[in-house]
Amino acid sequence: MVTTTWNRHHVISLADFQPDEYDTVLHTAASFREVLSRRTKKVPALQGQVIANLFFEPSTRTRSSFELAAKRLSADTLNFAPGTSSLTKGETILDTAKTYLAMGTDIMVIRHREAGVPLMIANEMDRLETRVGIFNAGDGLHEHPSQALLDLFTICALIDPEKPRLSLLKDKKIAIVGDILHSRVARSNIWSLTASGAEVHLAAPPTLLPKLFADFVHPQQPFPDKKSNSSTFPSLSLTPSLPHSLTPSLPRKLFLHWSLEPALQNADFVMTLRLQKERMTQHLLPSLREYHQRYGITRERLEACHPDVKVLHPGPVNRGVEISSDLMDDPKFSLISQQVTSGVAVRMALLYLMGSGKS
Amino acid sequence: MSSFLLQHARLLDPTSETDRTADVLIVDGVIHAVEETIAAFPSEAEVRDCTGLVLGTGLVDLYSHSGEPGFEDRETLHSLMAAAQAGGFTRLALLPDTHPAVDNPSGVEWLRSQVGGEGRGKGGSVPQLYQWGALTLGAKGEHMTELMELAEAGVVGFADGQPIASGSLLRRLLEYGQMLQKPIALYCCDRGLAGNGAVREGLESIRLGLPASPAIAETVPLAALLECITEIKTPVHLMRVSTARGVELIRSAKAQGLPITASTTWMHLLLNVTAAKSYNPSLHLDPPIGNPTDQAALLQGIQDGTIDAIAIDHTPLTYEEKTVAFSESPAGAIGLELALPLLWQTFVASGQWTALSLWHSLSSNPARCLHQTPPSLTPGQPAELILFDPQKSWKVAPETLKSRSSNTPWLGQEIQGRVLQL
Repeated sequence: MVTTTWNRHHVISLADFQPDEYDTVLHTAASFREVLSRRTKKVPALQGQVIANLFFEPSTRTRSSFELAAKRLSADTLNFAPGTSSLTKGETILDTAKTYLAMGTDIMVIRHREAGVPLMIANEMDRLETRVGIFNAGDGLHEHPSQALLDLFTICALIDPEKPRLSLLKDKKIAIVGDILHSRVARSNIWSLTASGAEVHLAAPPTLLPKLFADFVHPQQPFPDKKSNSSTFPSLSLTPSLPHSLTPSLPRKLFLHWSLEPALQNADFVMTLRLQKERMTQHLLPSLREYHQRYGITRERLEACHPDVKVLHPGPVNRGVEISSDLMDDPKFSLISQQVTSGVAVRMALLYLMGSGKS
Repeated sequence: MSSFLLQHARLLDPTSETDRTADVLIVDGVIHAVEETIAAFPSEAEVRDCTGLVLGTGLVDLYSHSGEPGFEDRETLHSLMAAAQAGGFTRLALLPDTHPAVDNPSGVEWLRSQVGGEGRGKGGSVPQLYQWGALTLGAKGEHMTELMELAEAGVVGFADGQPIASGSLLRRLLEYGQMLQKPIALYCCDRGLAGNGAVREGLESIRLGLPASPAIAETVPLAALLECITEIKTPVHLMRVSTARGVELIRSAKAQGLPITASTTWMHLLLNVTAAKSYNPSLHLDPPIGNPTDQAALLQGIQDGTIDAIAIDHTPLTYEEKTVAFSESPAGAIGLELALPLLWQTFVASGQWTALSLWHSLSSNPARCLHQTPPSLTPGQPAELILFDPQKSWKVAPETLKSRSSNTPWLGQEIQGRVLQL
């Protein structure tokens, strides 16, 4: 195992992830991928530690992946499911977290249908001066860091299986296609991929890709009005929040398109996103049919891309909507099953990095 | 006979543009004399050195929520009045959206019976409570209440505190309202456009992944309402203005001479959506907290008089109600005990506003929006005054707050400025 410095207590967002942190995750995940290829796929790295999966929103894939990752690290795992919980009996989310804290949990992996819950719990754990680490396994439309990191690993490991690293993506063209507005996966991916120096192209109709995304990765001026100044802000020193944008090591390159063609032109990677059927009832799209016609990824559409183009999807896939069914199963193009496999190694790496400082 | 001599106080009276240091003699609750130095005073008078303290006219809150009746876990009338007093408010106008809503005279009577006499609380210098009567039954925006009867029952004015979606109902309310001779306050928000928005739509809402309400959720109904007022000419108070474009629309409507007044809330002046990075549910407000451009425009609106008054919109909510995900929490925050210290510290102590400008927004202008004579520091007038120590630090905590609820983003923090017992 490569020795690494890792100072991150919680993983909530990739907005302030630094290049060396991405590389730490990538090379640690590469080591665990090797472990997973052995006959005995288990290491004692987190033996005696307790990892609780608090999935307030139902999830099968991510929860299973985290659970397997924890077990491969020899940690004890606890699973919380809202259906069997006291949440309907007047318990608050902080009460739930404190219950698992009292059981001696070292890391809480948290998913919630609303943005901000993992950060709220992390702030409460810090306020209580505990050493519990919080991992955001997806919060509302905000972020899904482990998915973006496994996407990053999948791509980097394809380019250099021995030494996956962030710099491999410099100047690669990556298209993210689909319901960007409602995607926490897209948000986390935008942070990680633009940090690598890749050119990131977003494609979707305006209702799913508002112009506001153009400035997503750029630091916001706190006060656009020159006459006013920062002293207009009161001394509201709320619990330290993650800075949204530190000075990036590379200029971040992000482009928006309301049609698919310019995004796909010479693209090296195409990431598609799941389209929820309820978007139709929210007046965001006229029909799935029109969406697939204009934005669905098909074999013909990929002809405009780089000849070695690969397609990713965070799953679960609506076959025939965001991606054509045959393409999804074609190993020449699809990285979908590699993503799932990488997921366990990347989550092992993340839990290991968070947990190894504790013993 | 009880007499108090307050010496060397910094006097603030926006009605006479007074900001000077002087002595004030109060006899039996009436201002007896205001002079540079008062040498002749009754021998039994209690003398207090007020050097470094502000003696200002009482603050007037345009609209706030009482928990009682219906939600006593959040706030009782007793705790509400204690909070108002601790925050420097001598007049408090309550929104009618309690349970039951104040949509008939018995609700007004009930309040009077709880706080005694003319709406003045029992026991001396407690704040005077006023009641907004509902415009529609249950404040649901569907059927007009018996407005004339409510007016006779003594409501201070009419407001639902909730948007009225129906254009035809709004039109008839404005027409009927012409004979009421009482303020009508309306909240412009299109709930359909707002959706489940918990912050104002913008770059930050996109980054935070929070459901967002677009500015047009405010400005579309606001523009429509201004158009109605142009035609019908009923005076209207515009509550909770929160967007830059909203300020612009009101500015041009005022320039055209429309009979409107407007207010924003103290939280919208102090904060913008970047604070919501903490996902602290106490920053989930209705209307949602704005973008930095909205905040800048509201501050400009206060400075140039487009926005007449700062309202508190005190909305107590229990720990259980607020300890949920940001966007799932009910909207609102408490404010009566925090507004003056934080506004003073942020805008007056920093030199951006004069002390009088703040006092205009919190004392004289809200009183005028309620069609009331503002409190003043004039001999012969009741001593509707507050004593404020801008330097005194205190920690915002459940045990230091008089309110039964502590849903505020400043919870746990040390802040400067406190109203003293007069």
